[in-house]
Amino acid sequence: MTKIISEDISIVKKRNLKNDYYSLVLQPFSKVKNCRPGQFVHIRIPSSNILFRRAFSIADTNPEEGTIEIIFKVFGKGTRLLSFFHENDYLNVLGPLGVPFKLPDKKEKVLIAAGGIGLPPLLYFVAEMVKRGYNPKNIEFFYGGKTSADIIERSRIRKLKVNFHPITEDGSFGKKGLITTPIEEMILKNKTEKMKIYGCGPEGMLKTVNELGLKYGIEGQISLEAPMPCGIGICLGCVVPLVKGGHARVCCDGPVFDIGEVVL
Amino acid sequence: MTPDLKVVIAGVEFSNPLMTASGCCGYGEELSEIFPLSKLGAMVTKSITLHPRLGHPSPRTAETACGMLNAIGLANVGVDKFIAEKIPFLAHQKTKIVVNVAGSTVKEYVEVCARLNDCEHIDMVELNISCPNVDEGGMEFGADPKMTEKSIRAVKKVFHRPLIAKLSPNVTSIVEIAKAAEQGGADALSLINSLVGTAIDIDTWQPRLTNNKGGLTGPAIKPVALAMVDAVYSHCQLPIIGIGGIASAADVVEFMLCGATAVEIGTALFIQPDIPIKIAKDLKTYLKDKKLTSITNLIGKVRKYK
Repeated sequence: MTKIISEDISIVKKRNLKNDYYSLVLQPFSKVKNCRPGQFVHIRIPSSNILFRRAFSIADTNPEEGTIEIIFKVFGKGTRLLSFFHENDYLNVLGPLGVPFKLPDKKEKVLIAAGGIGLPPLLYFVAEMVKRGYNPKNIEFFYGGKTSADIIERSRIRKLKVNFHPITEDGSFGKKGLITTPIEEMILKNKTEKMKIYGCGPEGMLKTVNELGLKYGIEGQISLEAPMPCGIGICLGCVVPLVKGGHARVCCDGPVFDIGEVVL
Repeated sequence: MTPDLKVVIAGVEFSNPLMTASGCCGYGEELSEIFPLSKLGAMVTKSITLHPRLGHPSPRTAETACGMLNAIGLANVGVDKFIAEKIPFLAHQKTKIVVNVAGSTVKEYVEVCARLNDCEHIDMVELNISCPNVDEGGMEFGADPKMTEKSIRAVKKVFHRPLIAKLSPNVTSIVEIAKAAEQGGADALSLINSLVGTAIDIDTWQPRLTNNKGGLTGPAIKPVALAMVDAVYSHCQLPIIGIGGIASAADVVEFMLCGATAVEIGTALFIQPDIPIKIAKDLKTYLKDKKLTSITNLIGKVRKYK
């Protein structure tokens, strides 16, 4: 039995979360039990105009029901078209793909840095930690967006009972500014504690998270985004340079990389 | 009776006419997680060069209308590491192994092919005299009939198994190049490599590839490839492996009717990595419907208008 398959599965639930943000729940995904937070699925969007699959981080799974959830923001023609699909429509899904996040030690403080549409893999990761009995009060969930409209799934985050820190660039919801500022404050305030940091979001934010990790000697991981023609490591189209030299493929050597591993 | 998909090129028998196109399947490891490589007629590897190459920085691919631009830049592990680390895996896959070779000088092609000649598991070499994504060599070889003939003749002296010349479409007359390859002693031709193209980001005003240009592949180039296969088939005796936007059994049939004995599947693998399995199945159904016993019955049988 191969580890990766592609299959036609149907949209069982579609939600318009806010403005251009959508959630799709897909079923039945036969590899649901293989899915881990940080991994993604590669979805074919039926159109003569869209050649390649589009990669979406897994936002949640339900192994009992065989469902996986993706959350996306309409960004280009692929996501625009995907937003037009309805419940009961079929999509061809390839996956799960990529390297997942590594779980931290249960005693450690966990800093989550979610920027914009970088939320879904971290939402899945934190939900998984809570499910595995991690103390939610040890999890500091920083989630930033441009405006209030970019902070989605708030009640879902609150339900996890983690310390939720929303931040917006215009101050329309939560603290005003960029999330990396309060993250650095949190690091400085808890200097003596052992902690890990996990980030997913815009490149600038990831760069800062990476630098903070290196500056304060905090281990952790960041999840990168890249256009991926194949998603399985055969086209070599999504490479990033590594600090030790050479290239890594975001799709299969990542998308999750250790702090300090890639050149950003 | 199940129709026979077997084809023979330069004395090498392939279980079916479906091969991977170079640069679209790495060295086979990843694809083998999706389907057994034994289902392929042959596995054509990524271009191998004398020394390892990192390739160009990202972005090195871009999606275009019905196609894809790429300028990977011949990223590969180099011939020695390829023989030491990749061949042992490929040797166990129960498929024919075709190694694609690229270089910037005749000497480099010869050096790589001489080393490959010592490796018993390799069935054929495909000489990439047509890659548009390196600054030197590559393309000039494939664009000049004399250089084409010279490089093939030189490689034939050191590599003693069948040699395929992979031709560029970025030339005035692909037939002239095909004839030169035949003259030089090539045993088969594969065509076409990618068409030179580019795309620009209108926000940044920068090309969408760091190499500023790349090679266009995918469904967009299929009609061009078909016409070229047809032209070369009419003027050359060598068996042809058709390449260019093949994504279905119907595409394979078109190429074979125009004169191809086999085909290479490239960009379609990125979209549907197990596509060769479906194509093989659909080809059998097609042959059955047409009451043909062998896929070779299709080769060059296009019924042209007078």
